[in-house]
Amino acid sequence: MKQRIPLVCTLALATALAPPAAAQEEVYLRVTSPGLTRVMIALPGFPARPGTDQAAAASLVATLRKDLDETAAVQLVPEENARLVVVDPGNPTLTRQRWRAVGAQFLLDGSLAGAGNQIVLEVRLWDLTSGEIAYSRRLQGSVGLAPTIAHTLANELVHLFTGRPGPFLSRFAFVSDRSGSKEIWVMRWDGTEAQQLTSHRSIALSPAWSPDGDWLAFTSFLRGNPQLFILRPTQGYLKPLSSLPGVNSSPSFSPDGKLIAFAAGDDGNTDVWVVPAEGGTPERLTHTIGISTQPAWSPSGRQIAFTSAVGGTPQLYVMDTEGTNIRRLTFEDKFADEAAWAPDGVRIAYTTLVEGFFQIAILDLRTNTRSVVAGPGNNESPCWSPDGTVLAFVSNRTGAKQIFMTDPAGRPRQITTEGNNVQPAWVAQVQ
Amino acid sequence: MSRLWTNKPLALALCACVAFTFSCAHRKAVVAPEPPSEASAEAKTAPQPPGEGTTVVGPEPRVAAAGHPESGVTTSELPADLEELNKAGYLKDAFFDTNKSELRPDAREALAADATWLKEHPTVKILIEGHCDEHNTAEYNLALGWRRANAAKDYLVSLAVAADRIATISYGEERPFGTCHDESCWSQNRRVHFVITAR
Repeated sequence: MKQRIPLVCTLALATALAPPAAAQEEVYLRVTSPGLTRVMIALPGFPARPGTDQAAAASLVATLRKDLDETAAVQLVPEENARLVVVDPGNPTLTRQRWRAVGAQFLLDGSLAGAGNQIVLEVRLWDLTSGEIAYSRRLQGSVGLAPTIAHTLANELVHLFTGRPGPFLSRFAFVSDRSGSKEIWVMRWDGTEAQQLTSHRSIALSPAWSPDGDWLAFTSFLRGNPQLFILRPTQGYLKPLSSLPGVNSSPSFSPDGKLIAFAAGDDGNTDVWVVPAEGGTPERLTHTIGISTQPAWSPSGRQIAFTSAVGGTPQLYVMDTEGTNIRRLTFEDKFADEAAWAPDGVRIAYTTLVEGFFQIAILDLRTNTRSVVAGPGNNESPCWSPDGTVLAFVSNRTGAKQIFMTDPAGRPRQITTEGNNVQPAWVAQVQ
Repeated sequence: MSRLWTNKPLALALCACVAFTFSCAHRKAVVAPEPPSEASAEAKTAPQPPGEGTTVVGPEPRVAAAGHPESGVTTSELPADLEELNKAGYLKDAFFDTNKSELRPDAREALAADATWLKEHPTVKILIEGHCDEHNTAEYNLALGWRRANAAKDYLVSLAVAADRIATISYGEERPFGTCHDESCWSQNRRVHFVITAR
C-alpha cells in the first residue's frame, strides 16, 4: 500500500521555457462551481527513446489515459477527433493549431526515455489558447513504478486545473465484514488493492484519516466497551485515545491534524468531545440533553458540524470549535445525519430521509439551499473526494451494503463487492 | 438489503410518531422511570409495584414453564455456568419503538420483573446491551442504543436494584437479533438485552 516514490523532478526545463512560477499555480477552472465543463486535453502519446522499457512505457501511458478520463476536472480529446489531427513533425505550431481545431484546450506532449530499470518521463502542457507552456515536468522512477509516475502526473494536472489534490494516489479507509467481523480496511480509490488493517474480531467502526494520511482513528469493541483508537496504517501501531463512558465513536480530525473530535458520554447521554491526536485528557464541547454525535471538523478549522436530536429529530448543527455559537443547519429534513464538509468548506453532504429511504443531500452554506440526490435503495455515509469533485457513499441498491463512487458525469459506480462495506473515509495519499 | 419503510402511509405515520417522540425526547422526565403505580395502571397484566418482599407474578411462571426452578430460588440453585445461566432466560429483554429510548408499558413490565428477580439474587451482576434496528445511521444508532441501555438501567435503579450491579453497553445496529426486511423483525432488534456477568 505504501508507495515511496523515488521521483526526480527537474524544474530547469520549466524555468527555461515556461511562464513564471506563479502562472504555473494558476487555477484554470473552478470545478467546484456549478455549470462545470471539463478541460479538454490532447494526449497524443509519448515517443520512447531507444532503451526505454516498452512494457513500462505502455503501462505508464495507459494509466495516465485512464486517470485523466476518470476525473471531473479534465477529459481527453475523443478518439474520433484525435484521429483527424495530422501531426506535422517539422511544424509543431501547426500541429498545435490542428489540435485546437478539434476542440483541445491543452496539449500534453512529451517523451519517454530510460536505461536499466529506470524510466524517465518529460512532459510539457501547452495552453493552446495562448500558445504558451503552462506546465512542464520531469518524472523518473524504476519501471515497476510506471503506474505511480502516471498517477503522480495526473494528480499534478488535476491540481493545476482545480487547485485541489487529484485522487489518483488516494485511498479509502472503510469498514468491511468480509473477514467475518467488522474490521477496518484500506483500498485504492478505484476499489483495487484492498488490505485489512485490523484483526480485532469484534466490531471496528467509523474510520477517520488525519489530513496527511499518517493516522487513522476509529472505534473498536476490542476490549469490550467501545473505545477510540488511533493507528498508523503503515506500521500497524495501535494506540488507545479515549475510553470515556459511552460510545467513543465518530472521530474527526482537525485540519491541522492536532485534535480529534468524537462522541461519548455518561448516563446514556452522548456529546461531542475533543482530544489531542497525540493523546491527552478529552474535553467536552457540547452539553446537550440526549444525543449529539457525528462531529465533522470544517476545512477552515473554525467550526464543527454535528448531529443532534436536541430539537426533536436528528438534525445537523454547527458550532465554533470552542463549543459556542451552536446553530441549526437543517430544517427541511425529517432526519439529517453524517455531515461531511466538502474541501471548499461551503458545502456539506449528509444523509437525509426521503419516503422512507436514506438519500444523500448537499447543503450549500452560501445560499442555504439543499439539493437531494435520490438513488435506488438506501444511500448514506457520503464522503468527498480530496479534490471535492465527486462523492463516495454507501448503497444497498444491489443487495448488501456497498461503497459507490460517482464518476465524472455523476453516475454512481460500485467499487466494492465482497461482504458489506460501509463508512468510507477518503484521503489524498497515505504516507 | 433493507427497504426502510415499504409503505408510504406507514412511513408517514411512523415519521409523525418519531417526530412526536423526539419532541419530548430531550426532556429528562420522559426517560426517567415513571412511578411504578402508573406503569401497572398502563399495563393491566403488569406485576404489582415491586417493592422489597413483594411476591411477583409474571416473569417467574414463564421461567417455570420453561422448565426452570420455581420462584424463590437462591443464587446457589442457579446454573453454575454463566453461559448456561444466560441461556436459561431468567431476565426478560425490553423492547422499544423506532427511534425511541422511552420505556413502553411492556418494557416497564419486563424490567419490573427483572428487578424483582435481581433483588432475589443479590449477588448477580448484569450487563445491559442496547440494540437498535437499522432505521438510523450506524453511528447515531450507537448513541441511541447507549440511551436505551441507560434508560433500562435507570429504571432498574429506581426499583431499588443497586447501580453497581449494572453495567451498560451499546451495540447500536451492529449485533441485530435478526436480519430484517419488515417491521415484525425490526421490532425484535429494538431492545435492551440482559447478560448475567456474575452469579
